[in-house]
Amino acid sequence: MSLNIIYREKDVPNIHKLDVYVKHQGYDALKKAIGMKPADVINEVKASNLRGRGGAGFPTGVKWSFIPQNEPVKYVVVNADESESGTFKDRQILENNPHQLIEGAVIAAWAIQATAVYIYLRGEFWDIAHALDKHIEDARKAGFVGQNILNSGWNCEVYTHLGAGAYICGEESALLESLEGKMGQPRVRPPFPAQKGGGLYKEPTVVNNVETLANVPYIIREGADNYKKIGTEQSTGTKIFCVSGDVVKPGNYEFPMGSITFRQLLFEHAGGIPNGRKIKAILPSGGSGPIIPATDEALDIPLTYEGLTKVGTILGSASIIVLDDSRDITWAASKMIKFFKHESCGKCTPCREGTYWLDKVLDRILRGEGRAEDVDLINNVAKNMQGFTLCALGDFAANPVLATIKHFPDDFFGHVKGDKPAVQPAAGD
Amino acid sequence: MANTLLEKHAKAVQHHLSKYPDKRSAVMPLLYIAQEEYGYVTPEGIREVAEICEIDPTQVKSIAGFYTMYSEKPKGKYWLQVCVDLPCALRGAEEFHHELLDHLGIEEGGTTEDGMFTVEHVMCLAACDKAPMLQCNFHFHENLDMDKMKVLLDQWRKEAEDYANKGVKK
Amino acid sequence: MTNTVKVIIDDVTYEVPAGANLVDVAKFHADNDIPVFCYHPKMEPVGMCRMCLVEMGNIEKDRATGEVVLDEAGNPKVRMMPKLQTACTQKVTDGLVVRTNTPVVDDARKNVVEFLLTSHPLDCPICDKGGECPLQNLTMQHGPGTTRMDFSDKQHLNKHVPLGDLIFLDEERCIQCARCVRFQEEIVGDKVLGFHERGRKLQIVTESDPGFDTYFSGNTTDICPVGALTTADFRFGARPWELTEVPSIDPWDAAGSNISLSTRLDRDFGGKAMIKRVMPRQNESVNEIWISDKARFGHHFTRSEDRQQSVYVRGAVESTWADGIRATSDILKLAGGDVAAIAGTGLSNEDFYTLHQLLKGLGSNRLGTWIPTHTGADILAQVGVGVGTNLGDLGKGDAILVIASDLEEEVPVWRLRLKRATDRGAYLVVANARHTRMDDFAHEVIRYETGHAVDAIANLNPDLAKELAKANNLIIVAGAEGLSLAGHRALMGACANFLIESGHVGKANNGLLSPLPGANGMGAYYFGFTPEATLDIAQKPPKVLIVAQAEILADDPAASAWLDKVETIISLNLFPDAVSAKAKVVLPIQSFAERDGTFTNGERRVQRFYTAQGPMGDALPAWQIFSRVGEALGQGRAKLSAATVMQEIAKNIPAFEGITYRSLAKVERQFPDVGGNELYYGGTAYQNKGGLGVQLPTSADKGDTVSAFAVESATLPKAGKGQVYVIPSTVLYNRQTAFLPSLMMHPRVLAPYVEVNAKDAEKMGIAQGDVVEIKADGVVVRAKAHVNGGAPQGSIVLPRYLTNDATPMHITVGEISKVK
Ligand SMILES: Cc1cc2nc3c(=O)[nH]c(=O)nc-3n(C[C@H](O)[C@H](O)[C@H](O)COP(=O)(O)O)c2cc1C
Ligand code: SF4
Ligand code: FES
Repeated sequence: MSLNIIYREKDVPNIHKLDVYVKHQGYDALKKAIGMKPADVINEVKASNLRGRGGAGFPTGVKWSFIPQNEPVKYVVVNADESESGTFKDRQILENNPHQLIEGAVIAAWAIQATAVYIYLRGEFWDIAHALDKHIEDARKAGFVGQNILNSGWNCEVYTHLGAGAYICGEESALLESLEGKMGQPRVRPPFPAQKGGGLYKEPTVVNNVETLANVPYIIREGADNYKKIGTEQSTGTKIFCVSGDVVKPGNYEFPMGSITFRQLLFEHAGGIPNGRKIKAILPSGGSGPIIPATDEALDIPLTYEGLTKVGTILGSASIIVLDDSRDITWAASKMIKFFKHESCGKCTPCREGTYWLDKVLDRILRGEGRAEDVDLINNVAKNMQGFTLCALGDFAANPVLATIKHFPDDFFGHVKGDKPAVQPAAGD
Repeated sequence: MANTLLEKHAKAVQHHLSKYPDKRSAVMPLLYIAQEEYGYVTPEGIREVAEICEIDPTQVKSIAGFYTMYSEKPKGKYWLQVCVDLPCALRGAEEFHHELLDHLGIEEGGTTEDGMFTVEHVMCLAACDKAPMLQCNFHFHENLDMDKMKVLLDQWRKEAEDYANKGVKK
Repeated sequence: MTNTVKVIIDDVTYEVPAGANLVDVAKFHADNDIPVFCYHPKMEPVGMCRMCLVEMGNIEKDRATGEVVLDEAGNPKVRMMPKLQTACTQKVTDGLVVRTNTPVVDDARKNVVEFLLTSHPLDCPICDKGGECPLQNLTMQHGPGTTRMDFSDKQHLNKHVPLGDLIFLDEERCIQCARCVRFQEEIVGDKVLGFHERGRKLQIVTESDPGFDTYFSGNTTDICPVGALTTADFRFGARPWELTEVPSIDPWDAAGSNISLSTRLDRDFGGKAMIKRVMPRQNESVNEIWISDKARFGHHFTRSEDRQQSVYVRGAVESTWADGIRATSDILKLAGGDVAAIAGTGLSNEDFYTLHQLLKGLGSNRLGTWIPTHTGADILAQVGVGVGTNLGDLGKGDAILVIASDLEEEVPVWRLRLKRATDRGAYLVVANARHTRMDDFAHEVIRYETGHAVDAIANLNPDLAKELAKANNLIIVAGAEGLSLAGHRALMGACANFLIESGHVGKANNGLLSPLPGANGMGAYYFGFTPEATLDIAQKPPKVLIVAQAEILADDPAASAWLDKVETIISLNLFPDAVSAKAKVVLPIQSFAERDGTFTNGERRVQRFYTAQGPMGDALPAWQIFSRVGEALGQGRAKLSAATVMQEIAKNIPAFEGITYRSLAKVERQFPDVGGNELYYGGTAYQNKGGLGVQLPTSADKGDTVSAFAVESATLPKAGKGQVYVIPSTVLYNRQTAFLPSLMMHPRVLAPYVEVNAKDAEKMGIAQGDVVEIKADGVVVRAKAHVNGGAPQGSIVLPRYLTNDATPMHITVGEISKVK
């Protein structure tokens, strides 16, 4: 059964309005949190076992607890860069339930005693950011944000910041660079954002995804024990699944983790595959995670962090792209590589050069001009990228080649041997 | 030298400066203002932003070059960015992109002769469930096909005409 | 360093300084060259290129006891990290285990080189860097033997992008290591280089006006690990392996930067050895591995056709050296002791000494220096920075005061190194009558009224004075801008007294510095040459005056008045000038590049330079000329070599005791170990093979008590109604005779300008860019008004050597008006 603890607009119309939100327990959690010691708030989130929804699944409470207590200046940064291919879940939160995010972010700020919250939105969320500014203003007027929050004597401003078209700025250290007015290139770590020297303006900083923080009000209001009842032991809470590609009803679906399988999600809820086609493959985490063939085993795995590891992929940001049996996986791989080539920041060698090279060879294969050794070549080039780059983008960029060749070798060799019709490589630069 | 941005957009500039402890952080919001003011990110715009943020113009140029939403070349009045990334492509975005280009008689990245439309393909815009889609001057337009698109194009042409005639804001 | 840790590199344990960088440590202590491209020992690591990947782990220690955990065999248990790590971003810690010689590491290196080469044009045969290229070398050592990338797939980019007038970019060769960008940001602080675009399109750009606007741009061509950045001076000039490197010293300023003159026997120079380029030579205590663009590109005067190339004796059609020497000695003989000399501070110690001896033999001690703007070398000899001073050591807990100087223009390398000191935490105070570039790096900026530098010291804010006084180390740099000669002496005294009182003399990294003009302003002092003597000579002109490498008339508008009273002038010069036009005898001298010798830099470091270039015409080293004239006058046999002159100096001049050419040529291994064949690491700053030089001890160093200096307040001329103070200033790029032959610098020399205070300008109806006329000291010059500069109210700042006419040498009063 779906359970809308994030997408509450499905149950409560107009919850994006402050009065409606407040009428439905909105900002109760903040009130409660401010009555608690910051450390206790962190402990509650730790106990909930909430894991980061930005992709890596790192335990949120643990991340907060890394923040040194005695530093005077600290920040919370909300990662609303949402740029992974096939991801559009945070956008819906920002548009339809913004106060829950604001509330979660301010609670996080209280927990680490931050001086300000910056919400970094991808530049294309231009209109959303302007609407969000108004919601923040409403919250400020109501005393939930800004000076003397809820008469506690505690101040914390919330600001929005627009990116300008760079997927890499979703990577947290690149995001911080960007927020400081620089090119969005990842930083060397350590120091990590939570440490002095590693965060925004070198101050300790928590970076969390929109969906992650939108879980926080529920956890504080209902308690960690109640939250943990949702989902599985290792994957607590609900998760939003962004379904796109070859399905009848693409869109966002929120379910308790482990309560649903790919088969149920895609066929019962997303309407199945259009045009009577069969499902061929699934990309469970946009372009970044390894592709999996739609075997019965994969289709019946419960959707949790641990479940997807078992079938050789990751839950990641749960942006599920579905490919039907008419799809040429080599073409799909090339599309993904073009994405990563376009988004590679250029800072480190293997990613900058590797994506460029992979793209060149994939184009050649698609055009039917490939050589027998080209498939091995790209496989090897991708291997030489994975694990050697400065940030995870380079690792991500290897997956579209490594996993696709592993699972769908015929799609590649077919082109090289001339069995498959040549394809004009897709647009991209 | 004069600083048009500072003079004409003082309030917005001050607002952005006030958000951050370091002026340099305002470079991105200010570049949007410069782009709006000059139609694209011009050398003057770069110089003025640098002056306001107290950094070298080179550092501003670097930012303008890194991020795709800043353009250092003139664009059409309506800058159409069509997502052709994998999820959208699976729903016909590439065909839609080509039809649109053909309809306007331009190449990818080109601008119509009347200077009205520039069409560019872009990577994922977080609207994969509503493909084909595009952003026009950074506003979303979703679930498109060419019929809907023609209506929109006409609407924009008219808007631009009204604007030219009466100074109505686009 | 007392704090050490044990690291294990390829199974050998080394005890190394705690917290040092792993790449540096491996190289210096383990002779293990971990290959790097983006890492540079002078800059913060960025971990970009991935060339330095190594296996890394730690010796396991029991958390509770801190004891090393042993395995079954009784060896320390090592926990290795699953992925390779970048060595360049790693600081050494106790128990760090590093493996650099495993197949996995070899593979990673091969892969990174392969990736880099996929975009590289491989145009080594026509590349300036070929032969000393890190990419070339590391490809040979670590790269794959063949390529798997189709050449036709490579992207083609611009190969000749002028970043400015001096530096060209080849976009195809760039490997995006960001060394140049980081150099400008971190080391220089002129953030005029940046990346543009991203991914494989990432390219270096500059948006400054003029392009690549900095005084240090040439250094980027040294640290660039490929041939992407080349200089306008050397592009396609020669192949590195044809060049002979000759150690030398930057002739332009008091820093005494160590340089290397790359020479070749060249058709363009009649088959003689010719300087093809100027490169830095590592001397960590002097210039580290950096030189200014003036040092790098300003060498063309040494072989300018306009040089004085032959002996000239007035009245004779053609003269030989024998004629010149005879004529000179005859004139001197007849002078009856009424002889004086004015010597430029570009002369060597040997030149000064022999000239001093010559006059002494004639019974005169009237020895003036040129240009007499700065003084107090005697004070520097007592309380100058202590022996062992290294501006690179200054950091947290230390303090620096810069007063009455525009250091960026006067001694750029000092300014660069002091900026770095502030990055390391040193406290910098800059005091001046106007804004200077150094203000940008200062923690505290003090403005004083024009001419009142001494008062600024006397009236230091007590907290600030305390902050300076209590610093672990304190260095004061006292310039002469806006001061008369007496004013500078007073300032030097006041600064010296502050240092003495606060106990900051007689030890390394403490004491006084001054941007004395020329490469050897300090050396001149030890041989009895002073600026005060110059003023005295002007007051009481002698019968015979020897003018050596001093363009008196071009520099001083007041000079012709007294020079006319001199009966006979003997001129030794590099270029014919207005003085030689009046001279009875004109003798051509060699520049620093054509001869050997020594300079004493502002930190009193005596340093050798060697003969690099073939001589121009008949020119001889000045010391040889003085020595031969002395012989003609019966003062003893002429010296045969500069080295033998130094032997005598060591005997006769106490400060030089023990100094020999051999001791000056001593070298030792420096950290970081830049140079040698391992050019990948620090770039093409050359290893120091010519000597690190010897620093002369101050009186305070020797333990002599130095008593407080008398500070006599100097009177300032009064600015009457309608008058302003004229503050002469120094700009690095100007129209001095010796600088002009470096043609590529011309676009960088500003048109004559004068800084006018905005309020004054408003009152006088002068706008930015207006042409104005300045009348002062009997001269009238025209310049463009810069209203936005930092001129103090009631004063104008007039750079020297931008106009064709001489401008005032010292602060004076004058009038300024707009030219209608
Ligand atoms: C290339 C790259 C892109 C990323 N993009 C996003 C993104 O768009 N949104 C996001 O929340 N996290 C993104 N992440 C993950 C962030 O780095 C970071 O882990 C996350 O914001 C942490 O928040 P969480 O703990 O709440 O998940 C990205 C990571 C990488 C390496
Ligand atoms: S992996 Fe790619 S995105 Fe990440 S630092 Fe390297 S070049 Fe930049
Ligand atoms: S990453 Fe270490 S040298 Fe470049």
